[in-house]
Amino acid sequence: MSGAVIPVELWPYLTIVLAGFLPTEIWRWLAVLAARDLKEDSPFLHWVRLVATALLMAVVAKLLLHPTGALASVPLWGRLSAVLGGIAVLFATRRSVISAVLTGEVILISAGMLAR
Amino acid sequence: MKNQPVSQPTSEPPKPHPALEGARAAIGLPVILIGVTMVGVGGLARDVGYPVGAAALSTLLIWAGPAQVILFGSVAAGVALPAIALAILVSSMRFLPMTVSILPLARSRGSRRWQEFLAAHFVSMTTWVEGLRRLPDVPEERRMQFFLGFSTMIIGGATLATIGGFYLYTAVPTAIGAALLFMTPIFFAASLVASARRRDEWTAVVLGALLSLPAFAVLPSGADFLAVGVVGGSIAFLARSRREPAP
Repeated sequence: MSGAVIPVELWPYLTIVLAGFLPTEIWRWLAVLAARDLKEDSPFLHWVRLVATALLMAVVAKLLLHPTGALASVPLWGRLSAVLGGIAVLFATRRSVISAVLTGEVILISAGMLAR
Repeated sequence: MKNQPVSQPTSEPPKPHPALEGARAAIGLPVILIGVTMVGVGGLARDVGYPVGAAALSTLLIWAGPAQVILFGSVAAGVALPAIALAILVSSMRFLPMTVSILPLARSRGSRRWQEFLAAHFVSMTTWVEGLRRLPDVPEERRMQFFLGFSTMIIGGATLATIGGFYLYTAVPTAIGAALLFMTPIFFAASLVASARRRDEWTAVVLGALLSLPAFAVLPSGADFLAVGVVGGSIAFLARSRREPAP
């Protein structure tokens, strides 16, 4: 495979398919096979769901503790109080996610301005 | 009263097609959130010199914000193709437990193989969190089409946002940039906490957050998520089987 054989305009598309699509999609395909005979109420499935929940909380923690780009301009205390404030509102509003998001954003923007 | 009903008895008023109902459910916070994320991805694709078609294709095919960011960032840095593929393979591992755990919930009696593969392709953090929250309330025979309709709306909106971002995204003021980037963690933190009902679900949420601190300190990126997921999820699972009967 070389640029002489494949027109250079096609490289972006090839890169996306080979280096982006396939390495991501393979996990989803494997999951279809793994989930084939799983019942909705099986204990194994319950375990997998708890694993995915903890894993996604770790993704959230990574975004908050090691932020990239502009979010890094808000100090750690600002990011943490924004997420904790949002969750507090979640409980105060019978689990309204949108209220939690808006509250978190207001705290974050205020913290960003205070820190400047 | 009835003479041998061949189809289901229709005593209730007719419901809209489940796919349409799903699509409608996606309008609002979920599609806004994914749009905000993908606007940035579109700008990133333009900055590395990719055409707009490639930007849109990356959202339709890869359908994983972090993987797309890795891809365009690596292309910009001149990283070799196999190395990019390996980095994305590791970062996308989360799709295995995510997809395994939502497919049996989305599956309807008589759903087709191609529908399962399409549903699996549509799995992302947004569709997973929202799917787990909404699907239990959808009648079982309508779930697959509901999920496909819901996800089509989400991925369609995300693709449009990618294209929009490609043409429009320029450097935004830092304060706005921070607020946009904060959308993702606050939405998922709030959604995961809002979905936790039983002791084991709470344990998974809390341990997921707490175990991250030591995991980030000692483990390489990618392995840290997996370790937190498996350790936290397993402890949470034990918390269930010890103290509560199966749900």
